Amino acid sequence: MKRTIAAAALFFAAAAAADEPTLIRFGRGFAAEEQVWLMSVRTDLTPNQGKKYQLKQILFQANPERFQAYLAGELDAGTAPGLAVIFARSEGVDMKLVASICQEAKGENYFSTTYMVKDDGPIKRVQDLKGGTIGVVGYKTATDLWARAGLLNAGLVPDKDTKVFSLGFPAMGDAVRTDKVQAGTFVEPFYSQQVAKGGLRKLFTAVEAVGYDHELLDVWFGEKFLKAHPDVVRAFLADYVAVTKYYLSNMEQAKRDLHKANFVRGPIEAYLKNADWRRDPNGRLNVESLKKLSTFMLDKLHWLDKPVNVDAMVDQSYLPR
Amino acid sequence: MKRLRPYVLILVALVAWEITARSGLWSPILFPSLERIGGQLWAFISQPEGFTQTWTTLYRTFAGFAAGALVGVLLGMLMGRSQFVAGLLDPVFSGTYAVPKLALFPIFIFVFGLGSLSKIALIFLECLYPMTIITYHGTRSVNRVFVWSAQNMGASRAATLARVVFPATLPYVFAALRVALPVALIVAIITEMISSVDGLGYLVTYSLSSLKTDRMLAIVVVISALGLALDHALVALRNRLVYWEKLDTYYV
Repeated sequence: MKRTIAAAALFFAAAAAADEPTLIRFGRGFAAEEQVWLMSVRTDLTPNQGKKYQLKQILFQANPERFQAYLAGELDAGTAPGLAVIFARSEGVDMKLVASICQEAKGENYFSTTYMVKDDGPIKRVQDLKGGTIGVVGYKTATDLWARAGLLNAGLVPDKDTKVFSLGFPAMGDAVRTDKVQAGTFVEPFYSQQVAKGGLRKLFTAVEAVGYDHELLDVWFGEKFLKAHPDVVRAFLADYVAVTKYYLSNMEQAKRDLHKANFVRGPIEAYLKNADWRRDPNGRLNVESLKKLSTFMLDKLHWLDKPVNVDAMVDQSYLPR
Repeated sequence: MKRLRPYVLILVALVAWEITARSGLWSPILFPSLERIGGQLWAFISQPEGFTQTWTTLYRTFAGFAAGALVGVLLGMLMGRSQFVAGLLDPVFSGTYAVPKLALFPIFIFVFGLGSLSKIALIFLECLYPMTIITYHGTRSVNRVFVWSAQNMGASRAATLARVVFPATLPYVFAALRVALPVALIVAIITEMISSVDGLGYLVTYSLSSLKTDRMLAIVVVISALGLALDHALVALRNRLVYWEKLDTYYV
């Protein structure tokens, strides 16, 4: 009798597990990923969540750790800068970009990562950074790439003419003010905070450094997951696009919701005022910009050992048509 | 066979690593084969840049370690011989020993700059604690009969300190040096990982950012070899100077 009950319990448990929607273990970051975070905060905007997939967002501080977790089989998907995925692909990591989160773009309405110097300091143009130091938030990151691009445009050789130092975003303002570095990288909300404090001014932006609008953050999936669960990915991206559209048309409310859910910390008023990066309402990637970045990384920065096939790295077929 | 014993576990670990790497269960980015790590190690040691980066780290390590050792031994001896100094400093050292000094690194950067000085200052601070505390206890445990004998024979306070207390404390000083030296190397590497444009710690971060785990592990091997070589050198120096109390074997 006991055996029969146990077997029945096991059967029902297995049947229940089989009905459970597929879990997506999603590695997220801590900046500029509003629409991704909103998927967990406003589940009412994601009709497929809980039915066709379950979403578990896991916070990571840096890209290498996120990719290592993926390689260790602990993640199925995540967010990452396009250039980080270019690195990963060049090392043979089987992941693909499936949607865009945000882009560095020209225009008054958009924020572009800004390099600032002391207002009353001797650095009037990028060429004046010769013999100085520029602060970035990590080596071989997007901030490193833009800094190097800006220096190369000014005829300076990074590391030789100008040192590139890694510093945290929170320390950047004081580091520039105390001349520990002559120029620093500023993203929101630090940019607005430092501008409000005064004493700093823009030297160049990320878009000005590379010369064209380009991908900043994207959504990636592991290739095995894409092959095993194409419908799950489609359902996820359908919700993602819906949330992106909601975010773009209801930005203030969306930001308030994210702030309330502790996805964003700091004063809410400042967060509401911050200019935002450009976000494609349909999540479409600017593939050409990724190709240009890849070529720049290979030819000018020598960051890659071999060319990366960007077309093979991107698959937008899972996005809603 | 006895000589090989210390290397058995290392050999087992290497074999386990290679089996894991070749099993195909994990990506070679996570577990690169020993051959790939060896290749990167050879590339590192055969290029002048490898030597330059190693020297940068060693320079920071030695500078901070030497300053920490010198001040630590002086303070430790003073605390051991003077109740007043002990009463003054003991609460400071005991109360702040558990504080991770690394948390102060951002402040050190703002005070001493992004270059070597902030790193050397932090290494100094990290080494100061074990040096002072172990020397202090060593000084206090000097056989009183030696001190009384010296005093009875008319030795001055300074002569007693230099010719009796200091030599008797030397085994403790070397014990402190053996604790502080790896700490110095670790702090040098970590501070370079946090904020630097050179040194082995910088190379570790740079390799990780490039997903070059094999290169990163090759540098870890170099760091490990450096730590071992420095400790061997210290033990050799100890056995030469503290000849009356030699360590029986290296692996005591």
